[in-house]
Amino acid sequence: MLSNLGNIILFLNALITLSIIYISIQKIKIKDQVVSKNIYQLSLFQSTLIISSFFILVIGFVTSDFSMITVYQNSHTLKPLIYKISGTWGNHEGSLLLWLIILSLFSFLFLVYNKSRPGNFRIYTLIVQNILILGFLFFLLFNSNPFSAISPIPKEGLGLNPILQDPALAIHPPLLYLGFVGSSIYFSAAIASMLANYPGKLFAQSIKNWVLISWWFQTVGILAGSIWAYYELGWGGFWFWDPVENASLLPWFAMTALFHSLLVLEKRNLFYFWVIILCILTFILCVTGTFLVRSGILNSVHTFASDPSRGIYILFFLSFLILSSVFILFKKFQTGNYKINTNSKETYILVNNWFMIFYLITVLLGTIYPIFTEVLTNHKVSVGPPFYNTVIIPIVVLFLIFMSLGPRTKWIKDRFQDFFLLIKLLTGSILVNFFIVIFFKSYSLLSNLIIISSLFLIFSSLLDLISSLKRTNTDFSRVISHLSFGFLILFIGLNHNFSFEKDFNLKVGEKKKIDDYTVEFEDLKLENFKNYKAVVGNFKIDNNKKKLNLSLNPEIRIYQQPSTLTYEASIRTGILKDYYLTMSNIDRSDYYNIKFQKKPFMLWIWVSVILISAGGLVRLFKNENKIS
Amino acid sequence: MKKLIILFYFLISTAVVSTEKNLVDINDVLKNLRCLVCQGQSVADSNSDFSQTIKLVVQDQINEGKTEKQIYKFLKEKYGDWIVYNPSFNMINSILWLFPYLVFLVGGALIFLLLKKRDYR
Repeated sequence: MLSNLGNIILFLNALITLSIIYISIQKIKIKDQVVSKNIYQLSLFQSTLIISSFFILVIGFVTSDFSMITVYQNSHTLKPLIYKISGTWGNHEGSLLLWLIILSLFSFLFLVYNKSRPGNFRIYTLIVQNILILGFLFFLLFNSNPFSAISPIPKEGLGLNPILQDPALAIHPPLLYLGFVGSSIYFSAAIASMLANYPGKLFAQSIKNWVLISWWFQTVGILAGSIWAYYELGWGGFWFWDPVENASLLPWFAMTALFHSLLVLEKRNLFYFWVIILCILTFILCVTGTFLVRSGILNSVHTFASDPSRGIYILFFLSFLILSSVFILFKKFQTGNYKINTNSKETYILVNNWFMIFYLITVLLGTIYPIFTEVLTNHKVSVGPPFYNTVIIPIVVLFLIFMSLGPRTKWIKDRFQDFFLLIKLLTGSILVNFFIVIFFKSYSLLSNLIIISSLFLIFSSLLDLISSLKRTNTDFSRVISHLSFGFLILFIGLNHNFSFEKDFNLKVGEKKKIDDYTVEFEDLKLENFKNYKAVVGNFKIDNNKKKLNLSLNPEIRIYQQPSTLTYEASIRTGILKDYYLTMSNIDRSDYYNIKFQKKPFMLWIWVSVILISAGGLVRLFKNENKIS
Repeated sequence: MKKLIILFYFLISTAVVSTEKNLVDINDVLKNLRCLVCQGQSVADSNSDFSQTIKLVVQDQINEGKTEKQIYKFLKEKYGDWIVYNPSFNMINSILWLFPYLVFLVGGALIFLLLKKRDYR
């Protein structure tokens, strides 16, 4: 029943999308500048329908309707309600439906929020956006239909991958999709701006908030994924340069470059085509990311969502997007005027873009390089953390320095005046770093440079903050984001250098002394939960010097549906550091493998990212207030 | 000038203090190895039988006094380049290692030319 209803709605939706495209093209043909009422109604109807089809799928999951293949493959009657619901988008088909909701909803909202702008720009945007909707709708209907029926109807579902049964992972995909798919609207607007000859400055104003919204969701989505990886995957890290992590980072670089360039386009009407290229690039990277994840072409922790046949369709659609947008770009391209002074904000924003593109190319190359070597030379290589760290970190040092200098410069032209102030700041940073090295632990030369340059950024942003408090027109958003970025790099640097990790085997009742710490394996309990059993260890951590005494309880969970073992880390989060303990069984032995870690400033890494994203929100609200 | 000298002193003394140690840290090695039977996990982070075996092998090699490079070479010969996360620098891989810097240089040159063009006019 639900399956039929869902299918009918999806087909109806395809018809509506086609008619929106048809009506809009007719409008363009007769040069009608008015967006008529029926377009609004159809667009609203489209969003409503796709949302209701999603709710039908949610109902299917909640009521465990195994007549639908998607529900059968990803759910189980014994699963807690929240994971039945989050299971809706925890699989390929359901997440694609979510993807379509965002495409449709953004299409409608963009139409409504830009009433003051010329009709042909809005209609072109609507056409491009609806072509995207149609492309994904066909993909959904003919390749990945969440409403496909199965017969005979199975009695019980296969269950959801246990590592996905987690609150952070319930919100991680929707957040990231809002970032990924949110970028579709400025892709459409960019194409529309070229087709409708909508001038740069006004175009910048029309999309800047949408860029900020998608950037915010992208940032927070990546954060949720990192936090999840930190406590769920049991290795104590938060970023592994895994191909799929990279796929989410690539559009983030493009978005960051984009909203910096948009400032120049809005203020000085420069870089129009560069902004257009970045708009197109961002969305293309988002679709590429989806292709990499869903096709299973790459070896990654995320391969629970892969299937080659999906890859071919996405690849086809991706090529279509790239070719058509590049074609339009070439047809419309004109060399603009680029009169800018060396020492101006414009130059520094270009510098920001220069670095962003460098990061983007490096990460993109590292991610897809193994595919090329395997196809061309039949030789498998791995490109992992050492590559990215070696190539990127030295450049980050330079980047942080430019990032400190940039915001102090004025638009159009500035003179070098606070040179001595900068020397003072630099001296301060070197001093602080010197004390860290003396009193705590020494680290490599590169780490020294990273810490010094991040301190430099922090000090100069703080100075900015103080001086801007005296003025009335304060740009808090930039100060907050830049300052927090400095802190992020500082804390990552310190965390990397002061982390401590010990790996050993213990059995119940035994003790292990590591430096000043004593780890005691007190006992082991077996506990029963609704959908899994857990072996819970009880560990006591003592440190006489620091008067530390805490107990940690890592678990080994035994899931039946599907039958899997997962290892749950036990984490004690503190202001200055986290203690992190995992245990795993060793076959045919009473011993357990214990991994004990001390991870300084973890909390502050998360807080820094939250503050970076908060800067974006501040800017968004400021923009909104200016309009009204 | 005095300030600059003091600045320089701190920079150099920091560099001297941070001379690196030469001992092979087993965790560093294991983190750089791919668990071949897992999906995107390093040997250090995995509980699989494969990883347990590799951990023992690496420990043995360290006990024999081998350097980090020698251990990687040994494992590459046995399992292929796929096992090490750090792609070695050779003829083919030079594209991977050098292309990002090429992009960086070209980007810098473009910005430089853009600014210079303006100054002449």
